[in-house]
Amino acid sequence: MNSPWTDDELLQELAAVLAEEQADEHVIQAAEAAFSWRTVDADLLSLVLDSDAEPAVGVRGRHSGPGGPRVLMFRGEQLAVEVEIDDAGIVGQLTPPQPGHVTLVGPNGPGLAAQADEVGCFTLPLPASGPVRLDCRLGDGHFVTPWITI
Amino acid sequence: MPPVSELTALVQASAKGDESAWNELVRRYAPLVVAVTRSHQLAPADAQDVSQTVWLRLVEHLDGLREPEALPGWIVTTTQRECCRYYRQAQKVLPVDPQGDGIVSHDGAAAPDSGLLRAELRQALRDGLAELPARDQQLLRLRAADPPASYEEISKLLGMPIGSIGPSIRRSLDRLRQTGAMKTYLAATQATDRVRRPA
Repeated sequence: MNSPWTDDELLQELAAVLAEEQADEHVIQAAEAAFSWRTVDADLLSLVLDSDAEPAVGVRGRHSGPGGPRVLMFRGEQLAVEVEIDDAGIVGQLTPPQPGHVTLVGPNGPGLAAQADEVGCFTLPLPASGPVRLDCRLGDGHFVTPWITI
Repeated sequence: MPPVSELTALVQASAKGDESAWNELVRRYAPLVVAVTRSHQLAPADAQDVSQTVWLRLVEHLDGLREPEALPGWIVTTTQRECCRYYRQAQKVLPVDPQGDGIVSHDGAAAPDSGLLRAELRQALRDGLAELPARDQQLLRLRAADPPASYEEISKLLGMPIGSIGPSIRRSLDRLRQTGAMKTYLAATQATDRVRRPA
């Protein structure tokens, strides 16, 4: 098979590769630090809908229009969590409806927390941009959502 | 891509809690994540957020990776998905031409695909380079540095006669073309007639 590149073209592309390699030491450090999240003693919910990302398989018709809140749905065998995020903050509901303790967690640890009421509703302020997840403690259950980028 | 068994070993060791294996995975594939975010023209701060989210997700996905050699594909897909979110956000504030009848076209909209192909080529080059003997790597790294080392400098650094450097570089480039990583890339792209030629 003939290579489609001349020597000069290949060297030029290699130069770009080498330039990229030197980039972003703090990106590497953050990625390495992610490993400390390997053992979280909680049930991981699945992300089944993120209105701002590609539609999740099998879920349709829940996209918010331009300017509307970002809608996210997480689901597990025992718990589902639906949240709406806009500039005013985060509004969420636990299903089945039940009281609980919901904490916003960032890569460096837990942040703001809220109490879900009798029908499972909770509100949280909008966190700074970056990866976050929700940590939900309900009775003897402990659940976490996958990481999302706010 | 590194040899399949090696990647499999790294993924499995990481899943069992071997932090040095994880760090090696990060070192190998962080440039791929960065390249994909660049191909989507994300602002640097957004690209860092996306990158961190991808790695946090991977930590929890290690056990679920049935075929570890599919990891590069998983990384590309996950990163792309996160990047798309920023497009949707951007669309919410897209400028509208009041004289026209629609949204002003978004220059970046057509870029991701060719950018992504370039990201794949660069990952193949990175992996191919890693497959080469140390001598070839040194020679190519010196010649592709910014600014490129002169034949005179290379001659001093590697202890080679100046007259042999040009032919040696050509042979090293040929060996690079013949690495498993580059052959895999070429086979995949030529099959769909979409080889990325450097500009």
